[in-house]
Amino acid sequence: MQIILNGLISGSAIALLAVAFQSVYLPTRVFFLGLAGVYAMAPFIAYGVLNSGGGWMLAIPLTLSLCVAVSIACEWANHAPLSRRNASDGAHLIASLGIYIIIVQVISLVWGNDAKALRTGLNATTQIATLVVTEAQLITLCGSTLLVGGTALFLTRTDLGVRLRALADNPLEFQLFGYDLNSHRILAFAMAGFLASADSLFVSFDVGFDPHLGMNALLLAVVVVIIGGYDSFWGPALAGALLGILRALVVWFLGAQWQDATTFILLVFFLFMRPQGLLGRSRRLEVQI
Amino acid sequence: MNYGLHLLIYFDIYAILALSLNLIVGNSGLFTMAQAAYFAVGGYTYAILTMNFGFGFIPAAASAMFVGGILSLAVSLPAWRFRGDFFVLITLAVQSLLFNVINNWSNTDFPPGTIRNLTNGPLGLAGIAGPTIWGTKLDTMRSLSVLSSVLLVICCLVFWLLQVSPWVRLLKSMRDDELAARGLGKNVRLLKIQVLTIGCAFAALSGAVYSSYVTFIDPSIATLDQSILLLSMLIVGGTGNFRGPLVGAAVLLALPEILRLVQLPDWMAGNVRLLVYGLLLIAMVHFRPQGLAGEYKLR
Repeated sequence: MQIILNGLISGSAIALLAVAFQSVYLPTRVFFLGLAGVYAMAPFIAYGVLNSGGGWMLAIPLTLSLCVAVSIACEWANHAPLSRRNASDGAHLIASLGIYIIIVQVISLVWGNDAKALRTGLNATTQIATLVVTEAQLITLCGSTLLVGGTALFLTRTDLGVRLRALADNPLEFQLFGYDLNSHRILAFAMAGFLASADSLFVSFDVGFDPHLGMNALLLAVVVVIIGGYDSFWGPALAGALLGILRALVVWFLGAQWQDATTFILLVFFLFMRPQGLLGRSRRLEVQI
Repeated sequence: MNYGLHLLIYFDIYAILALSLNLIVGNSGLFTMAQAAYFAVGGYTYAILTMNFGFGFIPAAASAMFVGGILSLAVSLPAWRFRGDFFVLITLAVQSLLFNVINNWSNTDFPPGTIRNLTNGPLGLAGIAGPTIWGTKLDTMRSLSVLSSVLLVICCLVFWLLQVSPWVRLLKSMRDDELAARGLGKNVRLLKIQVLTIGCAFAALSGAVYSSYVTFIDPSIATLDQSILLLSMLIVGGTGNFRGPLVGAAVLLALPEILRLVQLPDWMAGNVRLLVYGLLLIAMVHFRPQGLAGEYKLR
């Protein structure tokens, strides 16, 4: 039971990053690998603020706003110009990979390549029946659930959220209704930056961080998006929880070194057996390829 | 002198690798990120066969190509169904799987290279035999550079013949419009298997040359960073023709040497190199989508 709970907690963090990735991918169809850079950057900014004497009250808003700014800059300086030229998916992907490499290398140059931690001392624990939960795990679980739930509410209950969904559905028709495509795209990138950096802070507070954790985390999130169904909102959230539990079970039975291999085997299994994902809608062949 | 020969050997190895990747990415539009893993597969196959079975260079390299070609099915079968971003993701999965297998197939109770400890895990395989051809051991820098250059010339010839063949024209038609190629009755599934088998087999060959030259191999050559380096070579040099990959390999291998001239401190040299790769990728996509000497525009 303890393993399943631990898996559920790490799965909630994966699900939050999946929602962040999706919030760019659905409206813009940009495979935003730069998000891995934003994810990697967040704990370092918080670390810098905390080390220079600023408390958490300063570190959290500053980290979130800087990450949102970088995410918007990626759209404004890179993806928007490429989209205006009708660049292919491949061009977006490569440019985005370039952004990821640059962010990670700048982080490494400023703070070094070694692993760091955001908290000192032991983690306080809470006992619930036979289960033990650490303070950091509790923050991750509550924070991720709140943010995923908040995003769901934002997308379904607010005018702006509904417009973002409309943009994801049909960008051309969206513009024909007189809405500004660019500002909504910027909003999508800002949302992704916000959610990814918050997620990164949760995870780093729990298990520490280094400059290279972003890509692995993002790949997991993308796997979750595919397993859950990339056009569904709750599919990736569910798949995140399931994948978290599976990974925890793999660590228990096989060892941590087989976690990634199992994850990707699961991905390949889904791509072949159920390409529309757990909760996704099945599509016509020409839309799939 | 030796330093120049060392650079020449590295150029030969990476040029073969870039040419093999160009065959796949540039001509068929299948964006694979798993090429570094096939490079490693070739290197390990060569190492195990020469260390444990006493193979000479030619049979060991041929076996490496064979193993690389067979394992390419892991990428080519999914290519039947997936294109674009999802195919990239599948290749990343294959890259991760192969890396994990190489990194974890070890058991220190058994000697390296045996079935229970095939790759020796993160410690890698040391003491790989240098190339022996028809009983002659090539152990000087000069002879090794001649061997690698001859191999590069042979590979260039093969790729050039392929590049002007109707087969590559068919590949390009599949790249530009797969549905149309299928409509004309072309078997694109077979085509994908063929191109990935040839591409991965040549990547494995360059891996074999690498491990015979360095005489040591570890899983670090199968990482995602290596795949990114290869991709950068292709994007910077250009794809879809014969010159592009050669130019890309030369530029990206020259870059660390140029940075050495600037005399950066050791701790930052690696990071600055990767930083420049990142900048090059973005600059190329924005300002020169066909690369320095390529033909196919990555629009």
